[in-house]
Amino acid sequence: MTDTALAHGPVVEKRRGESLTATGLLAPATIFVALCLLAPLAILFRYSLNEFIPTKKMMVEAVTVANYVRFFTDPYYTAILWTTVRIAVTVTAACLLLGFPLAYVMARTQSHYKNVLIILTVLPLFVGNAVRAAGWMTVFGSKGFFNATLQGLGLIDKPLEIMYTEKAVLIGIVAVNLPFMVLTLQSVIESIDRAVEEAAFSLGAPPLTMFRRVLWPLAMPGILAGTILCFILAMNAYATPFLLGGPLFKMMAPLVYNQFTQQANWPFGAAIAFILMTVTLGLTLAANLIFQRKAAR
Amino acid sequence: MARLDIENLVKRYGDFHAVRDVSLSIADGEFLVLLGPSGCGKTTTLRMVAGFIEPTAGRVLLGGQDVTLLPPWKRNAGMVFQSYALFPHLTVAQNVAFGLEMRKIPRADIEKRVEEVLALVRLGGYGGRLPRQLSGGQQQRVALARALAIRPDVLLLDEPLSNLDAKLRQEVRVEIRELQRQLGLTTVMVTHDQEEALTMADRLVVMNEGLVRQVGSQRDLYERPADRFVAGFVGRSTFLVGTVEAPGRFRSNGGLGLACSGGMAGPGVLALRPERVEIGPPIPSGPLSGLDNCLPGTVEFVSYLGALIDIHVRLSTTDRLVVQIANRDGGFAPDVGQSVHVGWPASAGQVFAE
Repeated sequence: MTDTALAHGPVVEKRRGESLTATGLLAPATIFVALCLLAPLAILFRYSLNEFIPTKKMMVEAVTVANYVRFFTDPYYTAILWTTVRIAVTVTAACLLLGFPLAYVMARTQSHYKNVLIILTVLPLFVGNAVRAAGWMTVFGSKGFFNATLQGLGLIDKPLEIMYTEKAVLIGIVAVNLPFMVLTLQSVIESIDRAVEEAAFSLGAPPLTMFRRVLWPLAMPGILAGTILCFILAMNAYATPFLLGGPLFKMMAPLVYNQFTQQANWPFGAAIAFILMTVTLGLTLAANLIFQRKAAR
Repeated sequence: MARLDIENLVKRYGDFHAVRDVSLSIADGEFLVLLGPSGCGKTTTLRMVAGFIEPTAGRVLLGGQDVTLLPPWKRNAGMVFQSYALFPHLTVAQNVAFGLEMRKIPRADIEKRVEEVLALVRLGGYGGRLPRQLSGGQQQRVALARALAIRPDVLLLDEPLSNLDAKLRQEVRVEIRELQRQLGLTTVMVTHDQEEALTMADRLVVMNEGLVRQVGSQRDLYERPADRFVAGFVGRSTFLVGTVEAPGRFRSNGGLGLACSGGMAGPGVLALRPERVEIGPPIPSGPLSGLDNCLPGTVEFVSYLGALIDIHVRLSTTDRLVVQIANRDGGFAPDVGQSVHVGWPASAGQVFAE
């Protein structure tokens, strides 16, 4: 009895020490998140339940869901939400389609230039979104590089309308998000043994079958992480739709900004922000569940 | 099963010759082992047979049919990889069924065949498990079962045992060999482990620097190595560098005049198997004096291996020899620094031109 107690004594003490260390390691990040993310969110949520008096441009304390009701009953706003979701889904699909082959090559290459490839992929991230969008404007404008070249070559008579259309926004966001998708996929594909692909080949699977039955399911964690990242970034895109979409093209993030700064309608802005967040989270979770159920089968 | 013919196979990467000119014929049901140090071209050769690498020149014939230009999924070759390469997201049964599904075999037949093959590798009842729930040895057997399930024309084994621990390796060695005989599988295995090669093969191929150095049975390679490389790689040899003065007479660079068998006059090396050299006390007319070569020397290093003892003996300033003796009770076992006599018959020393 005494022996066991003695034997356990130091172990318990060590455990306590470990848990203290763990607390110490977790605390800074936890406090940061609580202060800088959760608290503002809570306050914002409270604001979204307040009332707004347009004539005085003033917020009045209240508990009402009127802001949420207004958003969902006005087709103007629901159309913006729908556009945002549509753009985000299209962008994510495009990124996956463009990113997978690129990530695969980067993961499998034996070349000495592999690091150069990775740097080239990351390079666009060194340029801020706004600067990049400005760059796109010079390329895609009606007198921009793209149209000037095509017209110069006599391929088109009138300049193509790309700037201030959904196309421009799609191209812009895909360009911004692609590196995130590629890097996420690349690290996961790298962790898949090349011999597994060869095993499928030697068992009689042609490349497409191998991809469908082996590579795709094994890369699923990376595909999920990449699409989630890409989707969230696209849903919340601000600078690109603002600069490339022009004044008539609306997405959710610029709308939130507009409500806060131009209209000074904090309650409605807060409500839109929460709707954006909830929809993003909800769709992400739903996609996650569907993918995982498919993978389990 | 079928015979496999490799004709003048070459693989170049830029200026680098991975495989220079390899021709081999593997008979139906034969177990051939490609043996060599890493980078000798043995794996490249195997991968060209599997279809993963396209040869620069030469042909691969499987059952008399030219498959050189066929992609791997159109050749009927079962491959076992060094890392096993099991599909981690599929169960054992699904892994084994994969190749059968590719062949569009009816579901009921697949299930039956999977069960048979799993029983063959003694994994009956493991079908529902995932690869990560199995030990290394079991995973290895699943890999084998998966390759066997498709009834391949040829079985290709790429260092299949190198990820197993030493004890298990010896067991699996015997298992694979028995299975191969029982099913009459034409098999090509690649390994750098000569013990593995010696115990499993019908015939061995020693490769180095992209070339086949020698093909033969275990005994051929050990008793009659074709060149210095084979003599050093298969088993162990001590090499004394010098000149062949005349057939049967060798003079080492250290000035030792030695009797040997054969050889062409010119610079050469004398290869001696450590266990063919005898060692005894330095008595001028001792038991060793009857041998063709009997020389005085000093023990420089002793390495105790349990059943055997290695003794390194200095014969001259440039000549050192390893003698291997059995660890017998009351046997002669000199210590470091002791003077000894070493001796061997002329037939024990083989000469290679340099």
